[in-house]
Amino acid sequence: MKTTIQPRDERTQPSRIIEGYPQTPLRNPKQPLVKRAPTLSELTGPVEVAKRVKLLGGDIAGHGDKQAIGQLIHLKVRVLDEDGAPVGGAVVEVWQANGAGRYIHPNDDEHAPADVNFYGAARVVTDESGAFQLRTVKPGAYPVPTRDGWWRPPHIHFSLFGKVWLSRLVTQMYFPGEPLNAQDRILNAVPDAAARESLVARYVPPAADPYNALVFEHQIVLRGRAATPEQP
Amino acid sequence: MISTAEATIGPFFPPRYVDQGANDLTVFDGRKARGDVIEIRGRVMQEDGTALENLIVEIWQADTQGIYRHPADPRHAQADANFLGWGRAATDAQGSYCFRTIKPGAPEGRLAHINFMVMFSGIMRILKTTMYFEEGSDPVLLSVPSERRKFLIAKNNEFNIRLRGENETPFFDD
Repeated sequence: MKTTIQPRDERTQPSRIIEGYPQTPLRNPKQPLVKRAPTLSELTGPVEVAKRVKLLGGDIAGHGDKQAIGQLIHLKVRVLDEDGAPVGGAVVEVWQANGAGRYIHPNDDEHAPADVNFYGAARVVTDESGAFQLRTVKPGAYPVPTRDGWWRPPHIHFSLFGKVWLSRLVTQMYFPGEPLNAQDRILNAVPDAAARESLVARYVPPAADPYNALVFEHQIVLRGRAATPEQP
Repeated sequence: MISTAEATIGPFFPPRYVDQGANDLTVFDGRKARGDVIEIRGRVMQEDGTALENLIVEIWQADTQGIYRHPADPRHAQADANFLGWGRAATDAQGSYCFRTIKPGAPEGRLAHINFMVMFSGIMRILKTTMYFEEGSDPVLLSVPSERRKFLIAKNNEFNIRLRGENETPFFDD
Protein backbone atom coordinates (compact mmCIF):
# COMPACT_ATOMS: atom_id res chain seq x y z
CA MET A 1 0.00 0.00 0.00
CA LYS A 2 2.99 2.28 -0.40
CA THR A 3 3.03 5.05 -2.97
CA THR A 4 6.03 6.64 -4.60
CA ILE A 5 6.05 10.20 -5.90
CA GLN A 6 8.50 11.40 -8.52
CA PRO A 7 9.13 15.00 -9.54
CA ARG A 8 6.94 16.23 -12.37
CA ASP A 9 7.97 17.60 -15.73
CA GLU A 10 7.44 21.30 -15.03
CA ARG A 11 6.22 21.87 -18.58
CA THR A 12 3.12 19.82 -17.82
CA GLN A 13 2.10 22.19 -15.00
CA PRO A 14 0.90 25.78 -15.18
CA SER A 15 3.14 28.79 -14.62
CA ARG A 16 2.54 30.23 -11.18
CA ILE A 17 2.52 33.80 -12.40
CA ILE A 18 0.39 34.61 -15.41
CA GLU A 19 0.40 37.82 -17.42
CA GLY A 20 -3.06 39.34 -17.38
CA TYR A 21 -4.13 37.46 -14.24
CA PRO A 22 -3.53 40.19 -11.66
CA GLN A 23 -3.84 38.09 -8.50
CA THR A 24 -1.06 35.68 -9.47
CA PRO A 25 1.95 37.97 -8.83
CA LEU A 26 0.70 38.72 -5.30
CA ARG A 27 -0.10 35.21 -4.13
CA ASN A 28 2.66 32.95 -5.34
CA PRO A 29 6.07 32.60 -3.69
CA LYS A 30 9.00 34.71 -4.74
CA GLN A 31 11.56 32.57 -2.95
CA PRO A 32 12.55 29.30 -4.59
CA LEU A 33 10.44 26.36 -3.48
CA VAL A 34 12.27 24.10 -1.05
CA LYS A 35 13.16 20.63 -2.27
CA ARG A 36 12.56 17.82 0.21
CA ALA A 37 12.69 14.06 0.11
CA PRO A 38 9.15 12.83 0.84
CA THR A 39 8.76 11.12 4.20
CA LEU A 40 5.95 8.95 5.55
CA SER A 41 4.10 12.14 6.49
CA GLU A 42 3.68 13.26 2.87
CA LEU A 43 3.36 9.70 1.54
CA THR A 44 0.29 9.09 3.66
CA GLY A 45 -2.86 11.13 3.51
CA PRO A 46 -6.55 11.23 4.29
CA VAL A 47 -8.09 8.21 2.57
CA GLU A 48 -11.32 8.33 4.56
CA VAL A 49 -12.46 11.87 3.77
CA ALA A 50 -15.80 10.41 2.65
CA LYS A 51 -16.50 9.66 6.31
CA ARG A 52 -15.93 13.28 7.26
CA VAL A 53 -17.67 15.32 4.56
CA LYS A 54 -21.20 15.25 3.18
CA LEU A 55 -21.50 13.57 -0.21
CA LEU A 56 -23.88 15.28 -2.61
CA GLY A 57 -24.17 12.80 -5.46
CA GLY A 58 -23.33 13.40 -9.11
CA ASP A 59 -26.76 14.19 -10.57
CA ILE A 60 -27.04 17.96 -10.35
CA ALA A 61 -29.17 18.82 -13.39
CA GLY A 62 -32.52 18.42 -11.60
CA HIS A 63 -35.59 16.47 -12.63
CA GLY A 64 -39.22 17.05 -13.60
CA ASP A 65 -40.22 20.68 -13.26
CA LYS A 66 -36.96 21.35 -11.37
CA GLN A 67 -34.66 20.80 -14.33
CA ALA A 68 -31.75 23.17 -14.82
CA ILE A 69 -31.70 25.17 -18.04
CA GLY A 70 -28.94 24.36 -20.49
CA GLN A 71 -27.51 21.57 -22.58
CA LEU A 72 -27.87 18.36 -20.59
CA ILE A 73 -24.59 16.46 -20.48
CA HIS A 74 -23.43 13.12 -19.11
CA LEU A 75 -19.79 13.30 -18.10
CA LYS A 76 -17.94 10.03 -17.53
CA VAL A 77 -14.64 10.50 -15.74
CA ARG A 78 -11.95 8.00 -14.77
CA VAL A 79 -9.35 8.72 -12.12
CA LEU A 80 -6.03 6.91 -12.56
CA ASP A 81 -2.56 6.99 -11.04
CA GLU A 82 0.60 7.54 -13.08
CA ASP A 83 0.78 3.82 -13.85
CA GLY A 84 -2.73 3.96 -15.29
CA ALA A 85 -4.11 2.00 -12.33
CA PRO A 86 -7.62 3.06 -11.25
CA VAL A 87 -7.89 5.12 -8.06
CA GLY A 88 -11.00 3.85 -6.33
CA GLY A 89 -12.57 5.38 -3.25
CA ALA A 90 -11.33 8.88 -4.07
CA VAL A 91 -13.49 11.80 -2.97
CA VAL A 92 -14.07 14.19 -5.88
CA GLU A 93 -15.49 17.69 -5.45
CA VAL A 94 -17.00 19.27 -8.55
CA TRP A 95 -18.18 22.84 -9.12
CA GLN A 96 -19.21 24.78 -12.18
CA ALA A 97 -21.15 27.75 -13.55
CA ASN A 98 -24.70 27.31 -14.78
CA GLY A 99 -25.67 27.23 -18.44
CA ALA A 100 -25.49 31.02 -18.59
CA GLY A 101 -22.00 31.26 -17.03
CA ARG A 102 -23.10 32.24 -13.51
CA TYR A 103 -21.93 30.70 -10.24
CA ILE A 104 -24.06 30.53 -7.14
CA HIS A 105 -21.42 32.27 -5.02
CA PRO A 106 -21.15 35.67 -3.30
CA ASN A 107 -18.06 36.44 -5.42
CA ASP A 108 -19.98 36.27 -8.69
CA ASP A 109 -21.45 39.49 -9.96
CA GLU A 110 -24.79 39.59 -11.70
CA HIS A 111 -23.71 39.64 -15.31
CA ALA A 112 -25.80 36.55 -16.07
CA PRO A 113 -28.95 35.06 -14.56
CA ALA A 114 -28.97 32.57 -11.72
CA ASP A 115 -30.95 29.37 -12.33
CA VAL A 116 -33.10 28.45 -9.32
CA ASN A 117 -32.74 24.80 -10.27
CA PHE A 118 -28.96 24.77 -10.45
CA TYR A 119 -26.46 25.10 -7.60
CA GLY A 120 -23.55 23.57 -9.50
CA ALA A 121 -21.80 21.41 -6.90
CA ALA A 122 -21.36 17.62 -6.85
CA ARG A 123 -19.35 15.60 -4.36
CA VAL A 124 -18.86 11.95 -5.21
CA VAL A 125 -16.56 8.97 -4.59
CA THR A 126 -14.90 7.01 -7.39
CA ASP A 127 -15.84 3.34 -7.76
CA GLU A 128 -13.35 0.45 -7.89
CA SER A 129 -12.59 1.21 -11.54
CA GLY A 130 -11.74 4.81 -10.62
CA ALA A 131 -14.90 6.04 -12.36
CA PHE A 132 -17.50 8.61 -11.46
CA GLN A 133 -20.32 10.12 -13.47
CA LEU A 134 -22.04 13.46 -13.57
CA ARG A 135 -25.43 14.40 -14.95
CA THR A 136 -25.27 18.14 -15.32
CA VAL A 137 -25.65 20.99 -17.80
CA LYS A 138 -22.82 22.32 -19.87
CA PRO A 139 -21.45 25.43 -18.13
CA GLY A 140 -21.57 28.72 -20.00
CA ALA A 141 -18.56 30.95 -20.67
CA TYR A 142 -18.20 34.13 -18.65
CA PRO A 143 -16.14 37.33 -18.68
CA VAL A 144 -13.43 37.67 -16.02
CA PRO A 145 -13.68 41.01 -14.19
CA THR A 146 -10.24 42.06 -15.45
CA ARG A 147 -12.37 43.90 -18.07
CA ASP A 148 -9.77 43.46 -20.77
CA GLY A 149 -11.50 40.89 -22.88
CA TRP A 150 -10.58 37.72 -20.99
CA TRP A 151 -13.42 35.25 -21.00
CA ARG A 152 -13.23 31.89 -19.30
CA PRO A 153 -14.28 29.14 -21.71
CA PRO A 154 -16.83 26.60 -20.47
CA HIS A 155 -15.04 24.54 -17.81
CA ILE A 156 -15.67 22.36 -14.77
CA HIS A 157 -13.59 22.49 -11.57
CA PHE A 158 -12.43 19.33 -9.77
CA SER A 159 -10.80 18.83 -6.38
CA LEU A 160 -9.58 15.28 -5.74
CA PHE A 161 -8.22 13.38 -2.75
CA GLY A 162 -5.86 10.63 -3.85
CA LYS A 163 -4.03 7.98 -1.86
CA VAL A 164 -1.49 10.33 -0.30
CA TRP A 165 -1.02 14.00 0.66
CA LEU A 166 1.13 14.70 -2.40
CA SER A 167 -1.49 13.35 -4.81
CA ARG A 168 -4.09 15.95 -3.77
CA LEU A 169 -5.17 17.73 -6.95
CA VAL A 170 -7.20 20.79 -7.94
CA THR A 171 -7.74 21.05 -11.69
CA GLN A 172 -10.16 22.23 -14.38
CA MET A 173 -11.65 20.42 -17.37
CA TYR A 174 -12.50 22.07 -20.69
CA PHE A 175 -14.78 21.18 -23.61
CA PRO A 176 -13.61 20.27 -27.11
CA GLY A 177 -14.05 22.66 -30.01
CA GLU A 178 -14.53 25.79 -27.91
CA PRO A 179 -12.99 28.85 -29.59
CA LEU A 180 -12.33 30.45 -26.18
CA ASN A 181 -9.97 27.61 -25.24
CA ALA A 182 -7.25 29.08 -27.46
CA GLN A 183 -7.07 32.37 -25.55
CA ASP A 184 -7.81 31.28 -21.99
CA ARG A 185 -5.03 32.46 -19.68
CA ILE A 186 -5.40 29.58 -17.24
CA LEU A 187 -5.53 26.72 -19.75
CA ASN A 188 -2.67 28.22 -21.74
CA ALA A 189 -0.50 28.67 -18.66
CA VAL A 190 0.44 25.00 -19.16
CA PRO A 191 3.40 25.07 -21.56
CA ASP A 192 3.22 21.49 -22.85
CA ALA A 193 0.67 21.03 -25.66
CA ALA A 194 -0.09 17.39 -24.84
CA ALA A 195 -0.64 18.28 -21.17
CA ARG A 196 -3.06 21.04 -22.21
CA GLU A 197 -4.87 18.66 -24.57
CA SER A 198 -5.35 16.19 -21.71
CA LEU A 199 -7.40 18.86 -19.87
CA VAL A 200 -10.00 18.82 -22.65
CA ALA A 201 -12.79 16.25 -22.40
CA ARG A 202 -13.51 13.90 -25.29
CA TYR A 203 -16.80 14.26 -27.11
CA VAL A 204 -18.54 10.90 -27.56
CA PRO A 205 -20.69 10.69 -30.72
CA PRO A 206 -24.40 10.41 -29.85
CA ALA A 207 -25.60 6.93 -28.99
CA ALA A 208 -28.17 5.51 -26.60
CA ASP A 209 -27.59 7.16 -23.24
CA PRO A 210 -29.50 6.48 -20.02
CA TYR A 211 -29.75 10.21 -19.33
CA ASN A 212 -30.63 11.09 -22.94
CA ALA A 213 -27.77 13.58 -22.69
CA LEU A 214 -24.72 14.51 -24.74
CA VAL A 215 -21.87 12.35 -23.53
CA PHE A 216 -18.31 13.46 -22.77
CA GLU A 217 -15.47 11.37 -21.39
CA HIS A 218 -12.53 12.59 -19.39
CA GLN A 219 -9.51 11.20 -17.59
CA ILE A 220 -7.72 12.59 -14.56
CA VAL A 221 -4.29 11.29 -13.56
CA LEU A 222 -3.25 11.75 -9.92
CA ARG A 223 0.39 11.81 -8.92
CA GLY A 224 1.92 8.64 -7.59
CA ARG A 225 2.59 5.02 -8.41
CA ALA A 226 2.17 1.92 -6.33
CA ALA A 227 5.61 1.11 -4.97
CA THR A 228 7.08 -2.20 -6.02
CA PRO A 229 7.05 -4.43 -2.94
CA GLU A 230 10.49 -4.80 -1.43
CA GLN A 231 12.18 -8.17 -1.88
CA PRO A 232 12.34 -10.13 1.38
CA MET B 1 1.07 8.60 -17.66
CA ILE B 2 1.51 12.33 -17.13
CA SER B 3 -0.24 13.57 -14.00
CA THR B 4 -3.00 16.06 -14.77
CA ALA B 5 -2.08 19.75 -14.71
CA GLU B 6 -3.09 21.67 -11.62
CA ALA B 7 -5.20 24.82 -11.78
CA THR B 8 -6.33 27.47 -9.37
CA ILE B 9 -9.34 26.73 -7.22
CA GLY B 10 -10.69 30.06 -8.51
CA PRO B 11 -13.01 32.51 -6.76
CA PHE B 12 -16.09 30.28 -6.72
CA PHE B 13 -15.26 27.27 -4.51
CA PRO B 14 -18.67 26.39 -3.01
CA PRO B 15 -19.00 27.52 0.60
CA ARG B 16 -20.83 24.28 1.40
CA TYR B 17 -17.58 22.39 0.78
CA VAL B 18 -16.24 23.86 3.99
CA ASP B 19 -18.45 21.51 5.95
CA GLN B 20 -19.51 22.59 9.39
CA GLY B 21 -17.02 21.15 11.87
CA ALA B 22 -14.45 20.27 9.20
CA ASN B 23 -11.90 22.33 11.14
CA ASP B 24 -12.45 20.33 14.34
CA LEU B 25 -10.30 17.20 14.23
CA THR B 26 -10.89 16.30 17.87
CA VAL B 27 -14.19 14.56 17.18
CA PHE B 28 -14.70 11.87 14.56
CA ASP B 29 -17.98 10.09 14.02
CA GLY B 30 -19.23 11.59 17.28
CA ARG B 31 -16.36 10.17 19.36
CA LYS B 32 -13.51 12.06 20.95
CA ALA B 33 -9.93 11.55 19.84
CA ARG B 34 -7.21 10.81 22.41
CA GLY B 35 -4.54 13.32 23.32
CA ASP B 36 -4.10 16.99 24.12
CA VAL B 37 -6.58 19.31 22.44
CA ILE B 38 -4.93 22.36 20.88
CA GLU B 39 -6.14 25.26 18.79
CA ILE B 40 -4.01 26.22 15.81
CA ARG B 41 -4.72 29.60 14.31
CA GLY B 42 -3.11 32.11 12.01
CA ARG B 43 -3.56 34.67 9.27
CA VAL B 44 -2.89 34.25 5.58
CA MET B 45 -1.62 37.28 3.70
CA GLN B 46 -0.58 38.10 0.18
CA GLU B 47 2.48 40.15 -0.84
CA ASP B 48 1.08 43.58 0.11
CA GLY B 49 -0.05 42.32 3.53
CA THR B 50 -3.72 42.14 2.57
CA ALA B 51 -5.52 39.45 4.52
CA LEU B 52 -7.24 36.94 2.26
CA GLU B 53 -10.82 35.88 2.92
CA ASN B 54 -12.26 32.50 1.98
CA LEU B 55 -8.87 31.03 1.29
CA ILE B 56 -8.93 27.26 1.85
CA VAL B 57 -6.48 25.69 4.30
CA GLU B 58 -6.20 21.93 4.72
CA ILE B 59 -4.11 20.03 7.23
CA TRP B 60 -2.90 16.46 7.59
CA GLN B 61 -1.20 15.10 10.68
CA ALA B 62 -0.41 12.10 12.83
CA ASP B 63 -2.41 11.21 15.93
CA THR B 64 -1.26 11.70 19.53
CA GLN B 65 1.07 8.69 19.22
CA GLY B 66 2.63 9.92 15.97
CA ILE B 67 0.73 7.39 13.87
CA TYR B 68 -0.93 8.18 10.53
CA ARG B 69 -4.34 6.78 9.75
CA HIS B 70 -3.12 5.34 6.45
CA PRO B 71 -2.13 1.83 5.34
CA ALA B 72 1.42 2.95 4.48
CA ASP B 73 2.15 3.60 8.16
CA PRO B 74 3.54 0.33 9.58
CA ARG B 75 1.82 1.15 12.88
CA HIS B 76 -1.53 2.19 11.42
CA ALA B 77 -3.36 -0.71 13.07
CA GLN B 78 -2.67 1.06 16.39
CA ALA B 79 -3.86 4.48 15.14
CA ASP B 80 -6.53 6.24 17.19
CA ALA B 81 -9.82 5.03 15.70
CA ASN B 82 -11.41 8.35 16.60
CA PHE B 83 -8.91 10.53 14.78
CA LEU B 84 -8.89 11.09 11.02
CA GLY B 85 -5.98 13.56 10.94
CA TRP B 86 -7.47 15.72 8.16
CA GLY B 87 -9.24 19.06 8.39
CA ARG B 88 -10.32 21.97 6.24
CA ALA B 89 -10.93 25.61 7.14
CA ALA B 90 -11.73 28.79 5.24
CA THR B 91 -10.21 32.11 6.31
CA ASP B 92 -12.54 34.80 7.65
CA ALA B 93 -12.66 38.50 6.69
CA GLN B 94 -9.47 39.12 8.71
CA GLY B 95 -7.67 36.37 6.82
CA SER B 96 -7.69 34.12 9.88
CA TYR B 97 -8.16 30.39 10.01
CA CYS B 98 -8.53 28.15 13.02
CA PHE B 99 -8.29 24.41 13.65
CA ARG B 100 -9.14 22.53 16.79
CA THR B 101 -7.03 19.42 16.81
CA ILE B 102 -4.92 16.99 18.82
CA LYS B 103 -1.25 17.78 19.36
CA PRO B 104 0.45 15.24 17.10
CA GLY B 105 3.02 12.86 18.48
CA ALA B 106 6.42 12.80 16.80
CA PRO B 107 6.47 10.23 13.99
CA GLU B 108 9.63 8.10 13.78
CA GLY B 109 12.58 10.25 12.72
CA ARG B 110 10.54 13.46 12.68
CA LEU B 111 9.67 16.29 15.01
CA ALA B 112 5.98 16.69 15.77
CA HIS B 113 4.50 18.66 12.85
CA ILE B 114 1.37 19.40 10.87
CA ASN B 115 1.23 19.43 7.06
CA PHE B 116 -0.54 22.43 5.56
CA MET B 117 -1.80 23.21 2.09
CA VAL B 118 -3.41 26.40 0.83
CA MET B 119 -5.69 26.87 -2.15
CA PHE B 120 -7.05 30.15 -3.44
CA SER B 121 -7.97 32.20 -6.45
CA GLY B 122 -4.72 33.04 -8.22
CA ILE B 123 -2.76 30.21 -6.61
CA MET B 124 -2.11 28.08 -9.68
CA ARG B 125 -0.60 25.11 -7.85
CA ILE B 126 -1.45 24.04 -4.32
CA LEU B 127 1.11 25.54 -1.91
CA LYS B 128 2.34 23.04 0.68
CA THR B 129 4.18 23.79 3.86
CA THR B 130 4.78 22.25 7.29
CA MET B 131 4.19 23.70 10.73
CA TYR B 132 6.40 22.82 13.69
CA PHE B 133 5.99 23.41 17.41
CA GLU B 134 9.69 23.88 18.08
CA GLU B 135 13.06 23.87 16.36
CA GLY B 136 15.09 20.70 16.26
CA SER B 137 16.43 17.96 14.06
CA ASP B 138 13.95 17.03 11.38
CA PRO B 139 14.79 16.14 7.77
CA VAL B 140 12.08 18.34 6.26
CA LEU B 141 12.85 21.31 8.50
CA LEU B 142 16.60 20.94 7.82
CA SER B 143 15.95 21.02 4.07
CA VAL B 144 14.82 24.65 4.51
CA PRO B 145 17.59 27.30 4.36
CA SER B 146 18.52 27.97 7.99
CA GLU B 147 17.54 31.66 7.97
CA ARG B 148 14.00 30.78 6.84
CA ARG B 149 13.29 27.91 9.26
CA LYS B 150 11.87 30.26 11.86
CA PHE B 151 8.87 30.92 9.62
CA LEU B 152 7.79 27.30 10.06
CA ILE B 153 7.81 27.36 13.86
CA ALA B 154 4.44 28.23 15.39
CA LYS B 155 4.43 30.54 18.41
CA ASN B 156 1.86 29.55 21.00
CA ASN B 157 0.15 27.55 18.25
CA GLU B 158 -0.11 30.60 16.02
CA PHE B 159 1.07 29.92 12.49
CA ASN B 160 0.84 32.79 10.03
CA ILE B 161 1.27 32.17 6.34
CA ARG B 162 2.77 34.86 4.11
CA LEU B 163 2.31 33.77 0.50
CA ARG B 164 4.92 36.15 -0.93
CA GLY B 165 7.25 38.93 0.07
CA GLU B 166 8.76 39.88 3.42
CA ASN B 167 8.83 36.98 5.89
CA GLU B 168 7.60 34.70 3.12
CA THR B 169 6.60 31.26 4.35
CA PRO B 170 8.79 28.50 2.91
CA PHE B 171 6.79 26.27 0.57
CA PHE B 172 7.93 22.91 -0.68
CA ASP B 173 8.68 21.88 -4.23
CA ASP B 174 6.40 18.86 -4.21
